[in-house]
Amino acid sequence: MAHVNHTAGRKVWAFAAGHIPLTSTGKEPVFTSHDKIAVLNAGTADASIRITIYYENEYPVQDHEIGVSAQRVRKIRFNDLINPLPIPLGTPYAFVLRSNVEVVVQFSRADTGFRDAAGFCVTPFFQTDHE
Amino acid sequence: MQQWVNWSGSLSFSPGHYWEPQHEDELCGIVRRTCAAGKKIRLAAAGHSSSPLVQTPDTLIHLRHFKKLLKYDVQQQTATFQSGISVHEANAALQAVGLALFNTGDVDVQTLAGAIATGTHGSGRTLQNMASVLCAARVVNSCGDVSVYSDDLHPDILRALRVSLGTLGFFTEITVRVMPLFKLRRHELFTDTDVCLEHFDQLSAENRNVDFYWYPRSDESKVRILNEPGQGAQSFAFQHHCVKKEEGWVGEILPRKRDLKFDEMEYALPAANGLACFQAVRERIKKRHRKDVAWRVLVRNIAKDDNYISPHHGRDSISISLHHNAGLPFEQFFNDVEPIFIEYGGRPHWAKIHSLTARQLRPLYAEWNAFHRVRKALDPDDFFINDYLRKLLFTDGAR
Repeated sequence: MAHVNHTAGRKVWAFAAGHIPLTSTGKEPVFTSHDKIAVLNAGTADASIRITIYYENEYPVQDHEIGVSAQRVRKIRFNDLINPLPIPLGTPYAFVLRSNVEVVVQFSRADTGFRDAAGFCVTPFFQTDHE
Repeated sequence: MQQWVNWSGSLSFSPGHYWEPQHEDELCGIVRRTCAAGKKIRLAAAGHSSSPLVQTPDTLIHLRHFKKLLKYDVQQQTATFQSGISVHEANAALQAVGLALFNTGDVDVQTLAGAIATGTHGSGRTLQNMASVLCAARVVNSCGDVSVYSDDLHPDILRALRVSLGTLGFFTEITVRVMPLFKLRRHELFTDTDVCLEHFDQLSAENRNVDFYWYPRSDESKVRILNEPGQGAQSFAFQHHCVKKEEGWVGEILPRKRDLKFDEMEYALPAANGLACFQAVRERIKKRHRKDVAWRVLVRNIAKDDNYISPHHGRDSISISLHHNAGLPFEQFFNDVEPIFIEYGGRPHWAKIHSLTARQLRPLYAEWNAFHRVRKALDPDDFFINDYLRKLLFTDGAR
C-alpha cells in the first residue's frame, strides 16, 4: 500500500469558545450535544497530543493525552474526556492543543438541546502549501 | 508522625504508631503491647477502600513483608499465602505453578486478604465474591495469640471471618481454594444501552463473566464478556461495535489497570431488582448530574453466598458502582443517588462510600446477630473496632 508522504497543519492549536451544551434532545449518543475535535495526522509519525483546558474561574487542567496514529484521523468528543478531569457541561472553556508533529485540528459543536433549533458548526482550516 | 493516605487520596490520617512487622511473632508482640496499653489497632492493606475502615489514632499495622506463597496442593486445589500478598501477586505466583484464583475484581491491586475481608468481587452470575475462596486462616486475636480456623472444623467462624472487615483479628496466613490455571477470551462491545439491557440477562446466563459500563455523557454502554476459549457465546446477535478481543491467562486478562484515581459508591441489589434500579440511577444521573459526572457506572453480577455480613448473603445480586474523579466533590452526586439504591433493597459495599449506620444495616442482614456472636467471642473488648466500625456495626442490642 502506497503511503502519501506529506504533512499538514501545525503543532499548536487553540480554540477559545468551548462550551459543551448541557442538554440534548433525541436518541443518544447520535444526538448527544457535544464539542468535538477532528484531528488529522497526515504525516508519517504518530502524533502524541496534550490538551490543556482553560476556564473562566478555575486553574487550567493540563495534559489530557491523546494519540493519533500516522496517516489517520481521529475524532474526540470533549464530553468524554475524564483523564485527568472531566469538563463540566454548560461551562465556558478554552483549550490549547500541542502536538509533537504537525496535525490539522477542526473543532465542531452539535447542540441538540432545543429540537427546533438544533445546530452544528465547524471551524474552517486553510492549509497553505509548504514543502 | 507517618501519614497514611488511601489509594484515591480521599482519606488520610496520622496514626500514633505505625509498624511493618517482619514476621508473625513480631505482629503478635505489637498486638499484645497495644492491647495492654488500652489502645486500638487496625491493619492497613492496599488502601483501595474509600471508607475509613482502618482509620485509628493509635496503632496502624501494615503487612507488606507478608507476601509469600507458602504451600499449595494441586489435588486438594488449595493454596496458602501470607496475608499481605496482593491479588495480582497471588495470581502470578499461582500461574507459575499451574493454578489460579477463580475470579478477581475489576482491579487486582488489593491484598487478597483485604479482598476477602471486604467482599470484593468480579462479575459472573455463577461466581461468588472473593471471600468465598477462604477455607482456612491463621488469625491473631486481641491477646496476641494465634488461632487457626478452617471450614472443616469451624464453619460458623469461617462464615463470619469471610467479610469481617478486620474486626475478628488479623490474618497472617490464608488458605484459599484455587483452580487449575485457565485462559479467558475477552470481548468488549459498545452498544446502545437499551439494547444492552434487553440482552443482559441472556448474556449473563450464557457467558462466564459479564458486566457492562454505562457512560453518562453519551448514554451508551460497553459490555464486557469473558469465557474460557471455546465456551460461551461465540457471536452476538445484537447490534454492537467490537472494540476489544483478546485472550490470555486469567490473571492477565481479567483484571484491568486503573491509573486514574476515583472515589466510589457501590450497592448490591437483589438480582431481580438490579436492572430496574440501574434504569432509575441512569435517569437520575442524566437529569441532575451529567454536568459534572463523566465517569462510567459499572453493573455486575454476583452469585449468592452464606457468609454472615457479605453484601451478597442469601441472594444472587447485581451490583451498581458509581465513580467520580478523585479530588472532585462527590457528596452531592453520591448522596442524591444513594436513596435509589436503598429503595431497591441495596446493601452497600463495606469498603466503599455510603451513609448507612448499624441501625439501617442490621435489618439488611438476616445473620447480623450470628456475626456479632462470633465477633464478640473473638474480640470481647472490641479491640479491633475503630470509631467508624462502631458506627457501622453497633446498635444498642447488637453488641
